[in-house]
Amino acid sequence: MRDKVLAGPLDGDLDPFAKPVRSIGTRRFDADPESLERGLAQLVLTIVELLRQLMERQALRRVDSGGLTDEQIERLGRTFMELDRRMAELREQFGLTAEDLNLDLGPLGRLL
Amino acid sequence: MIELLAITDDAGELEPPLRAVRCAGLSVVCAPATNGEVDAEALWRREAVIERLMEDRDLLPVRYGTVVQDEQAAAAAVAPRSEALARALDRVRGAVELSVRAVAAGGDDAKAAGHVSGRDYLRDHAARERLARALHEPLAAAARDSVLHDGPGVLRAAYLVDRGRVDGFVALFRELQREHRELAVVCTGPWPPYSFTGGRES
Repeated sequence: MRDKVLAGPLDGDLDPFAKPVRSIGTRRFDADPESLERGLAQLVLTIVELLRQLMERQALRRVDSGGLTDEQIERLGRTFMELDRRMAELREQFGLTAEDLNLDLGPLGRLL
Repeated sequence: MIELLAITDDAGELEPPLRAVRCAGLSVVCAPATNGEVDAEALWRREAVIERLMEDRDLLPVRYGTVVQDEQAAAAAVAPRSEALARALDRVRGAVELSVRAVAAGGDDAKAAGHVSGRDYLRDHAARERLARALHEPLAAAARDSVLHDGPGVLRAAYLVDRGRVDGFVALFRELQREHRELAVVCTGPWPPYSFTGGRES
C-alpha cells in the first residue's frame, strides 16, 4: 500500500485510513443464519445511515439559512446526536463498522 | 470460467494468461478465473495486473469479481453497452484516478464523545462540511472530473487527473494539507479510473 501513497499525513500515521480486509471479502451468499442476519442488518442499517446523513445535511442547511429559534436548533441537534448514538449501538450489536455501512451508490453519490 | 479485468480500445498484444476478447471496437481483457479465497494479497495481485496494463493503454477497470462462462459470454456482456463504454473510455483517456481521504486529526470518535449540547453537535458537523468543501473545491478545479464518495470521515473523494498533471495535483494537495492541520489527509494513486467508468453522461 505504501507505494501508492503520493502524499501521506504530516505525522506519517496511516492507521486512521486502514480498512479491515474482512469487510471487503465477505459479501457472498452464506446460508448460515447468523451471517444472513448480519448481512440483512448491514443492508438495512446502510439505508438508515444514508437517510440519516441526508436529513442531517438538510438540517445543517436550515440552521445556516437562519430562521430557526435557539430552542429548535438545540432540539434538532439533540435528535441527530441521539440517532448517531443509536446507530453506533446497532452497529456494535451486529459487529459492523462505520465502513461497512458504506454503499457504493455510483452516480447517486454525487447528490450527497 | 473467465474473469473480466478491464475494457480498452487498444488492440495491442497481451501476455498470457491474459486474453483479449474483441467486441465492437473494444477489447475486453480477461484472465482465467481463480476461485481461491479473497484476501488482500489476491486483490493486490489483480490490481498489479490492471496497473501494468494501464502503463501503456487507456482502460476502464471492471468491477472485482466479474466472472463469466466463456469468451462468448464476455463479448455478449459488453456488446449492448459498447457505445457507452467507448464514451467512458474517451472521458478517462490520458488520465488516472487519485484518491483523497481526510479524517479529523486525533480521530472522529474522540470528537464525537465530547458533545454536550445539540447546538454544539450541529456546529461541529457544519464545520466538518465546510472543511470538506475547502479541501474538495480547489482539488476538483485541478482535476478533469471528480466524485465524492460517501462514508465516515471528513472527505473521501476521487479525482480524474491528466497523467502529466499528477505532480501539480499532489503539490496542491500538500499546500492544502499544510493549511488544514486540523485534518489528517492522505492522497493515493495513481489508480485505474475505478470511479469514472461511466454511469454518468456529464
